[in-house]
Amino acid sequence: MLLELHHIEKRYGGVAALADGNLAVEPGEVHLLLGENGAGKSTLMKIIAGIVERDAGQMMWQGREVHLKTPSEAAAIGISMVHQESLLAPHLTVAENLYLGREERLPFGWVRRSRMMDAASRLIAEHGFPLRAEWRVEKLTPAGKQLVEICRAILHGSSLVIFDEPTSSLSGSEAAEVFRIVRTLRERKVGVIYITHRLDELESVGDRVTILRDGRTVHTGPLADLTTDGIIRHMVGREVSAMYQRTSLPPGEERLRVEHLTRKGELSDICFSLRAGEIVGMAGLIGAGRTELCRALFGVDPIDTGGIWMGGRQMSIGSPKEAVKAGLALVTEDRQITGLVLRLPIAHNITLAGVKSISRFGFLNGSAQNAAAEDFIGRLRIRAASPWQLAGRLSGGNQQKVVIAKWLFRQAQVFLFDEPTRGIDVGAKVEVFNLMDELAREGAAILMVSSEMAELLQVADRILVMREGRITGELPGRTTQEEIMRYAALETQPVSEERP
Amino acid sequence: MSQPAVERTEAPPVPARRGRERIVLQRLLPFLSLIVLFVALAIASPHFLTNTNLSSVVRQTAVINIMALGMTMIIINGGIDLSVGAILAMGGLLGTMAMEKGFSIPAGILTGVVTGLLCGLANGLMITQLRIAPFIVTLGTLGIFRGTALMISGGLPVHRIPQQFSFLGEGNVLGVPFVLWILVGCALATHVLMEHTRLGRYTFAIGSNREASVYAGIPVKFHTTAVYALGGMLTGLAGMIEASRLMTGQPTAGQGYELQAIAAVVIGGGSLQGGEGSVVGTLIGAFIMGLLSNGSDLLGVSPYLQQAIIGAVIILAVTLDELRKRRTASL
Repeated sequence: MLLELHHIEKRYGGVAALADGNLAVEPGEVHLLLGENGAGKSTLMKIIAGIVERDAGQMMWQGREVHLKTPSEAAAIGISMVHQESLLAPHLTVAENLYLGREERLPFGWVRRSRMMDAASRLIAEHGFPLRAEWRVEKLTPAGKQLVEICRAILHGSSLVIFDEPTSSLSGSEAAEVFRIVRTLRERKVGVIYITHRLDELESVGDRVTILRDGRTVHTGPLADLTTDGIIRHMVGREVSAMYQRTSLPPGEERLRVEHLTRKGELSDICFSLRAGEIVGMAGLIGAGRTELCRALFGVDPIDTGGIWMGGRQMSIGSPKEAVKAGLALVTEDRQITGLVLRLPIAHNITLAGVKSISRFGFLNGSAQNAAAEDFIGRLRIRAASPWQLAGRLSGGNQQKVVIAKWLFRQAQVFLFDEPTRGIDVGAKVEVFNLMDELAREGAAILMVSSEMAELLQVADRILVMREGRITGELPGRTTQEEIMRYAALETQPVSEERP
Repeated sequence: MSQPAVERTEAPPVPARRGRERIVLQRLLPFLSLIVLFVALAIASPHFLTNTNLSSVVRQTAVINIMALGMTMIIINGGIDLSVGAILAMGGLLGTMAMEKGFSIPAGILTGVVTGLLCGLANGLMITQLRIAPFIVTLGTLGIFRGTALMISGGLPVHRIPQQFSFLGEGNVLGVPFVLWILVGCALATHVLMEHTRLGRYTFAIGSNREASVYAGIPVKFHTTAVYALGGMLTGLAGMIEASRLMTGQPTAGQGYELQAIAAVVIGGGSLQGGEGSVVGTLIGAFIMGLLSNGSDLLGVSPYLQQAIIGAVIILAVTLDELRKRRTASL
């Protein structure tokens, strides 16, 4: 055995994050670690990677008990981790990040930049990553940052690499690239621990599975012995009977129309419309311009030419403030940065965009705020102890519901969802879909950007496909992944003529 | 609401500490320190618990305290204002100059307050319109305001001020220093503003996460500018009180006061990262510093040592606050 964990316990304050964590990894195996958010996966990985110390239990590394106190101690014995959230220094280059803390030891702390650049370029070329050593990390997309994290972890011949949801910000071909890297590591007899929420990718990577629930290991065994339903049953602790079903209804009046929207270098000649009661999916590879489209519609980035009509009137949206006023809502892909104020209570977050409606002459009406917060916590089934709980202390799925509640409270009419299910667990995903369905039934128009094609096929009434800043195809909701990929990755099809 | 696919009956994975309890806890430690300090001084020195001495503590502290109220708002907003000492001088100088030129006392005070407001507004506009870090902008305006004050006055203090003006800083109302009434009024107004108005709510949101505030459609620039303007206004008032106590308008007044105001905010639990701080905390912070300096005087501690003690207290207070936060934080 490469690594064995027995009866690991960890408490934060009074909260038990791990009560009985068990895990064993052999060299050359890809070990999947599954569980809902809050099940203790991240804590277990942080213990292995030396980021936090365990309170009780045993950790054996190559047969000897170890107590890791820092990530560098873990790195020294051959354990490295690819983090889910980017832990890179944004102002440094890709190469500098790769070698951060592992620079050559030269006198006076001197750094030999050209050699570092060369080594980094070789590594990137060897794996065929779409990166360049001299790029500054802050300019990279989430996918690019993820690749840098992966490069960093495999750079110095570790014997165990932990992947914490490496594909959550990646799409199709990039995810395939990650799988390829994982398989290469396996061939080199490296142990891999792989955390994921995307059950569809399990078979592409995994050998064995360990499932955590409420801080305890509830199952361990070969992947081949489990069905998807079986996995979900272990994760959730009960049957997930009703999967999501989209209520289909005839679309109502037009809520949003975008004509010939262009933003130099990012978007060109975007035309589409959203109707009341409609959920329109937006597919495409990372970097196709989907997030950029959301940002432009929401007034974050200025548009060069083209127009936006809402309810028959042309809008000039120059800032998020104006977008919100016009009835738009943007559920961003990185909810912890742009979606929530983590250090404020849930109640304040829910009412943040609509403070005006709970205030008179600038004074807040506290009881109206609390009533609204309690109402939404109940309606959206946000699992929180009280409206005063800080948003940062909620799980990913519940945080997402708070973001949605914020826009419901603001009575938005047109919703832009950018990767709404990123990093949230199976149960919460279904709840988010049901919320979207309910919104649509109440007459909202929804644009849903997602890199998970299976989700789009499940949720969307029709699907727009983007590639290189253009809309390259429009498909009915009941299409296939192959058909979407044809428009997302292959040659451009003229579509603007077909539009009504 | 449609039926959720997954029913959950067990407790949420991360039990919450109620936000309000957390805030109360945050205020408790400085408050206890203040009481301990007060009691200790009362025991150590027979002169401490006299009317004269306590009045003098209040008068000495009031100027820093009123400035610190504005600084609290600015720090919660995620900013800083290094120019308040110079704004204080500008306010005091222009206010007293107005009186020298024949304006009435209220008009003179108003001049000082408006001067402060305009200086703060200039800071706010530069920060939001030029998008330069508050530290840099106010470092620059610290020099600009101070230099302007010196140029206007030719470096000389204003002396010909009506005698009744001293009432603002030295008078008593109902047996209590007038400045204490002013301080209580300003503190109440700031507290209400921060806790019960849209401006306050937005200020906390902007300071905690500016980007999310922009995405929520909050007029971030307007509210940021407003906070600096209000901070400047309070500083202008503090400048008039300082001028009244000294009965001069000094272009060199208030040097180093910005650091005392910042210290009061952080001792009171404010975070220079933004998003945290409270009026009550700042009041306690300012009084802790006031009592330390008064106590040292009474007990004959060297003024050199005094400075070192106050410096150590700042670090100690923030360290304790950090330790508490780390203990209660679950990752």
